[in-house]
Amino acid sequence: MTTENKILEQTDLDIGIVALTDCAPLVMAKHLGFFEKWGLNVNLHLQHSWATIRDRLHAGLLDAAQVLAPMPLASTLGLNGAKCDVINAFNLSMNGNGITLSISLFEQIKQLNNGQEPSLPLDSDWIKQVIQQRHVNGQSKLRFAAVYPYSCHFYQLRDWLLLAGIDVDNDIETIIIPPTEMTAALENDEIDGFCVGTPWNTKAVRAGIGATVITSCDIWHEAPEKVLAVTLKWQESNPNTFLAMLAAVQQTCEWLDSTANRFEAAIILQNYLDEPLEVIAPSLIGSCLTTKEGMPRTIPAYNRFISKNANLPQIGQGRILLDKMILAKQLPDDFTQAMKQQLLKDVYRPDLYQEMLNIKR
Amino acid sequence: MALKQNNSSGATPLLTVLIIDDNMDRAQAFEAALQNTPYLVKHLAHTSMSLLKEVENTEPDIILIDIESPNRDTIESLSTISDFNPKPVVMFSEQDQPDLMRESIKAGVSAYVSGDTNPDRAKFILDVAVARFNEHQGLKNELSDAKRQLESRKWVDQAKALLIEKQNMTEQQAYSAIRKMAMDNGQKMEDVAKNLISMMQLMGGGK
Repeated sequence: MTTENKILEQTDLDIGIVALTDCAPLVMAKHLGFFEKWGLNVNLHLQHSWATIRDRLHAGLLDAAQVLAPMPLASTLGLNGAKCDVINAFNLSMNGNGITLSISLFEQIKQLNNGQEPSLPLDSDWIKQVIQQRHVNGQSKLRFAAVYPYSCHFYQLRDWLLLAGIDVDNDIETIIIPPTEMTAALENDEIDGFCVGTPWNTKAVRAGIGATVITSCDIWHEAPEKVLAVTLKWQESNPNTFLAMLAAVQQTCEWLDSTANRFEAAIILQNYLDEPLEVIAPSLIGSCLTTKEGMPRTIPAYNRFISKNANLPQIGQGRILLDKMILAKQLPDDFTQAMKQQLLKDVYRPDLYQEMLNIKR
Repeated sequence: MALKQNNSSGATPLLTVLIIDDNMDRAQAFEAALQNTPYLVKHLAHTSMSLLKEVENTEPDIILIDIESPNRDTIESLSTISDFNPKPVVMFSEQDQPDLMRESIKAGVSAYVSGDTNPDRAKFILDVAVARFNEHQGLKNELSDAKRQLESRKWVDQAKALLIEKQNMTEQQAYSAIRKMAMDNGQKMEDVAKNLISMMQLMGGGK
């Protein structure tokens, strides 16, 4: 398990992470000594906003970072920030998001359903009915939150509501709140629901302030969620270090496949997420809490780290994200097919992932 | 819309400043330094989501935020996905981090205040932020004007090409025809062009 005779260009690495369950591959790679085995001394830096993790990665203050799957595309295009070539050669995780409604919104849906709990995953038509009712009563628009404009959360929330024919640009209000702040916003009645990654849905349910009504697996089936991003410039200057880093994280993802190990990961994550085990563990073992008293749903793919070739970045995955960005009017009107192809080729690097597999053997 | 700057040192507050910072000492020093300037400070410590309410209520003209604040994503999104008008954003940073600041400024941040900044420079920093923001907005508006003009020319060119092909006009005749229609109907040439195109497409382009 060495990079053979290849010399590491850099051995001290600074990697940015965000307090979410899917930082597990990076946290555990350090904790289990996998980075060390590959000759790397890694410092993990907890970041509090996607904007700052993006700026630090672009500026070279972080060598690599756990970012939202659409972010390398947004960085390379220079959307909402400086233009910087960022590549994705490794998916850190699949799925992991869920939509949680405030207790009062969930109660309104129950009333519309003759006092019965609606079946889950929730049909967004219930939201449409609430919207219509609020409109008739002259109440304000429902307000939902997602974590970042270029996030699967934002697109998943929209897709779910679009299924019921809700005009997501006009019928509701959408705002951006970072993951760690979501539950407070729901508790303070500042939003009616949110789409966020684990464990923050679980936290809302445990605290009795929300009902998780659908997961991202129900909306998109399978989707890359976080990726391990580096700038193209950094990868080109540190090709061997880059592959060693990927190999260590790949090894950790293999380790994370076992349920027993996931439980161990949940224990370690407590230190990074500042939340108790009862909030962190459920999604890692495939359980989606729904309401405080209700039955949890079994979602085996809630946090996928390795199975089904999860880590291989695929151009098709990027194409789907670009289509969602177009639908959300986030790309320039003159964005051509040729530009799309070039962008996907630049950002998605399955070739580097394959190179890593070759040295890892 | 450009923010107005008041050069007089009169006591009338003209621009409201919202400070989002956990570091009360720093925020207070800043607030003190801004007394008797055209900036009125409304301080807000980190209180997670009431940030949005605060922004809605105070309608600040300038936002000062700690670079490590989770609220940064919310502030940044105000100018992208909501109807909120963009505002100059100034960032506090504990240490001097020039590389990070350069990136943030490219991302739309107007100025920054590093750990060793003398609060006496507060007014100057805000003046610079407002000036830079106005310049940035001006450039953005120019760019969108230029884009709109280009878009309009595209339609006119397309309509011209159709007239030349289907009505056997010369380029000059086609252009004059579109311009005359626009003047007669008090419409923009772009709108006339769009109408012409859809009409000719509807009629299959026949004479």
